[in-house]
Amino acid sequence: MTDTNDNAGTDRKIVTFSLAQQTFGIDMRALIEIREWDEPTPLPNVPGFIKGVTNLRGNVIPVVGLAERLGWEPSVIHARSCVLVVNIAGKQAGFLVDEVNDIVAIGETEIQPAPEVETIEPSVIAGLVRIATRQKDGTRDEKGTMVLLLDLDALSLTKHLDLAA
Amino acid sequence: MSDELDEIQAIFFEECAEGLTTAEQGLSAMQAGDVSAEVIAGVFRAVHSIKGGAGAFGHADLTAFAHKFENVLDEVRGGKIPPSPGVVKVMLSAFDILTDHVESAKGLAPRPADEAALAALEQVLANKGADDGAPAAAPAPAPVAVEAPAAPAAEEADEFGFVPMAVSLDDFDAPAEAPAADASWIVTFKPSRAALANAGEPLLIIRELETLGAEILAVDTETVPPLRELDPEDAYFTWTLRVPGEVAEGDINDCFDFVAPDSVVEVRRDEAPAPAAAAPAADTGADEFGFVPVSAPIEDFAAEMQRVVETIAAASPPVSSVETPAIAPKAGGDAAQQTIRVDLGKLDLLLNLVGELVIRNSILADRLSPADRQRVELPELARLTRQIQDNVMSLRAQPIKQAFSRVPRMLRDLSVETGKTINLETYGETTEVDKGVIEKIGDPLTHMIRNAADHGLESAEERIAAGKDPAGTIKLSAEQRGARIFVRVQDNGRGINRERVKAKAIEKGIISPDAVLSNEEIDQLICAPGFSTAETISNISGRGVGMDVVRSNVEALGGRVEIHSVPGEGTTFTMILPLTLAILDGMIVRLAGQRFVLPLAHVLETVQPEAGQVKRTSPDSEVIDMRGEYVPVKRATEIFGLNDDRAVEDSLVVIVESEAHGKVGLVVDTIDDRREVVIKSLDQNLHPIRGLGGATILGDGSIALILDIEALVASTNRYTPKGMAA
Repeated sequence: MTDTNDNAGTDRKIVTFSLAQQTFGIDMRALIEIREWDEPTPLPNVPGFIKGVTNLRGNVIPVVGLAERLGWEPSVIHARSCVLVVNIAGKQAGFLVDEVNDIVAIGETEIQPAPEVETIEPSVIAGLVRIATRQKDGTRDEKGTMVLLLDLDALSLTKHLDLAA
Repeated sequence: MSDELDEIQAIFFEECAEGLTTAEQGLSAMQAGDVSAEVIAGVFRAVHSIKGGAGAFGHADLTAFAHKFENVLDEVRGGKIPPSPGVVKVMLSAFDILTDHVESAKGLAPRPADEAALAALEQVLANKGADDGAPAAAPAPAPVAVEAPAAPAAEEADEFGFVPMAVSLDDFDAPAEAPAADASWIVTFKPSRAALANAGEPLLIIRELETLGAEILAVDTETVPPLRELDPEDAYFTWTLRVPGEVAEGDINDCFDFVAPDSVVEVRRDEAPAPAAAAPAADTGADEFGFVPVSAPIEDFAAEMQRVVETIAAASPPVSSVETPAIAPKAGGDAAQQTIRVDLGKLDLLLNLVGELVIRNSILADRLSPADRQRVELPELARLTRQIQDNVMSLRAQPIKQAFSRVPRMLRDLSVETGKTINLETYGETTEVDKGVIEKIGDPLTHMIRNAADHGLESAEERIAAGKDPAGTIKLSAEQRGARIFVRVQDNGRGINRERVKAKAIEKGIISPDAVLSNEEIDQLICAPGFSTAETISNISGRGVGMDVVRSNVEALGGRVEIHSVPGEGTTFTMILPLTLAILDGMIVRLAGQRFVLPLAHVLETVQPEAGQVKRTSPDSEVIDMRGEYVPVKRATEIFGLNDDRAVEDSLVVIVESEAHGKVGLVVDTIDDRREVVIKSLDQNLHPIRGLGGATILGDGSIALILDIEALVASTNRYTPKGMAA
């Protein structure tokens, strides 16, 4: 399992980040930018996981507390909190995460299906993949870490809000 | 290459759409009794140019149908066929088929079944000619049953006591059978000055006429300016040609299908049969006169001019003899309007940029010191920015007629499907609305009209039994009130059967059986998802999605739908829409410290309440004493679930005028500012939120939410289900 990430069909790149002591990953292609946490303008009458809206170069985009959205304890804002701005089916949204870790390449074949019981909405997790994590001294932790790959389409806000509203 | 062709073809289809709109408006006017010459000519020109373009792009079916339609219109225009209601009806049906043909030519629809419409047109052509026939009708050269394409009868035939009737071209081609045909045609052709620039090469037209046996009688060079002022790329000549009498007028006119706008074309019968000798042997010279090569050296051209003048002097008959009243300018353009086509995308981009400019402008103002802010440059910049903004907005404003134009056709179809006779009355078509609004009200409008025709109006029998006019009426109107547009669809049908609506809602589980609802609440159930009272699911409506879609579409636009129904008298659906989707004049207020934008259009006045001026009428409701008038007070902070301990005496009460609930006082902390804001919709990246009309970006780059006054004052209870996020 040592060289898993270096050979065997490295088809896609994912951004990994930590949230509620877990490591999550999203497809690089959906990522627009990573911004510092900035208190968004709160919205009335929306589910609690929507933190509000913020200004992304003239666009008004919602900021989502990803932890709450996924059913974990809400993130505590700290110096390394940041917002991943992603594009989901043509709409933009910001996801509050605890810390952005790395960008890694993975092979499609390495992705394992997620057990259905793991989350409140099984479809939100597209799969599980093991990656080698970089240590502070630059060497690799050979044991690796499990990454929960998120299915962004399933996280689409409009879909969820239609149900919630 | 094919891309270019597609592009040109796209322009043609755009022109088709415009032509169809013009034709439909004209036909509707005719149906309403306006059969003036301009109206008829307008319809004729519209159909004619569709035919011309279709021919150029090889849409044979469309061309053939338009041709037949045009023939009838030409006869009507010439007064040969009276524009009776029956004829107008046939033309309206033909118009519908023509629309379908255009769709088919676009490849969006299969070829329509036009046989019935063609036959109806044939019959109009055939019958009307015969009906109006004088007793001393000349022996008909052809029986009434005519195969396409039939040429319109000669315009000037009356002068010869000739009975106009539809005859086939074949018969015209046989000179012996056309009694009056030996009077030859005199054709006057004056291309517009810009003919060459518009690729309307006169020489090609003259040559085409020559293939019909035309000969040039005269070339009028009077308008040719002195050489110094002469622009070699302009057309100056007027030609007079003689075309043999046996040539059909339609064939002559066909030569002029593609002349530049503003060209003058006259085709008439010569007063007296021309003596054979009168025709000058100008054939050899014709080509030279017909075409002035732009590259020709000036000397040659001058010599040419001299020859032209000599030829004129020798020519007979003189030009003056052909000065008869114009029959009709053949080419479509009345005074060419100074307009250009602009891609809507470019306009949207411009609007966005101006929006950004407005924001930068206020950022700049915020950054400057108060002293600098007062200097002349900044107010000047603000004024200019506002002017640019107003102008860009006006570019996008379009008469609502565009959204209404599809309704007549729809009602004709609905009339056939339902077997009901439906009259349509439209008002306020010229009301101007932002293009974005027009685009988005199409679907809701369609649903509302269908609903009115299918559910609202009764069958003729029911109407007679109720003592009503058997024909139902649907009124479609638009008006602007302040910053809102009201679009109404009103029928004079049976009204909403509230008992049935309620029963159905209970049956569908939309409301509980013991729910107590006001009449208005019952009416609103029509818009509930999954509601439909139609006994049988009809083709037209009744799938239970219609009114639900109307409401959600209109709400997504920041508008709302109101229903007003009187049993036995009819139902009115009103869409209340914002005038624009882009800019709002607003008051920046604070609610629990957070900035919100309150649309200024609603604001009547602001008061700082004194102790005891605001009183509770129940634990959840308050009123404010406004000079003896008790106005209900709403606390937006409570509605939005914001924490606010501020005493009402420390707050301000903004009195707003709402459409649905009259005057209402809204409690706010303070008023920060008044400014124009650019509306950013929340649903672009999120979802519309009740109580909010959108968001805007303030001068410091932060976001302020825009309050939807109507939704706020309509909320009788607190919004508590989820409270405020964060």
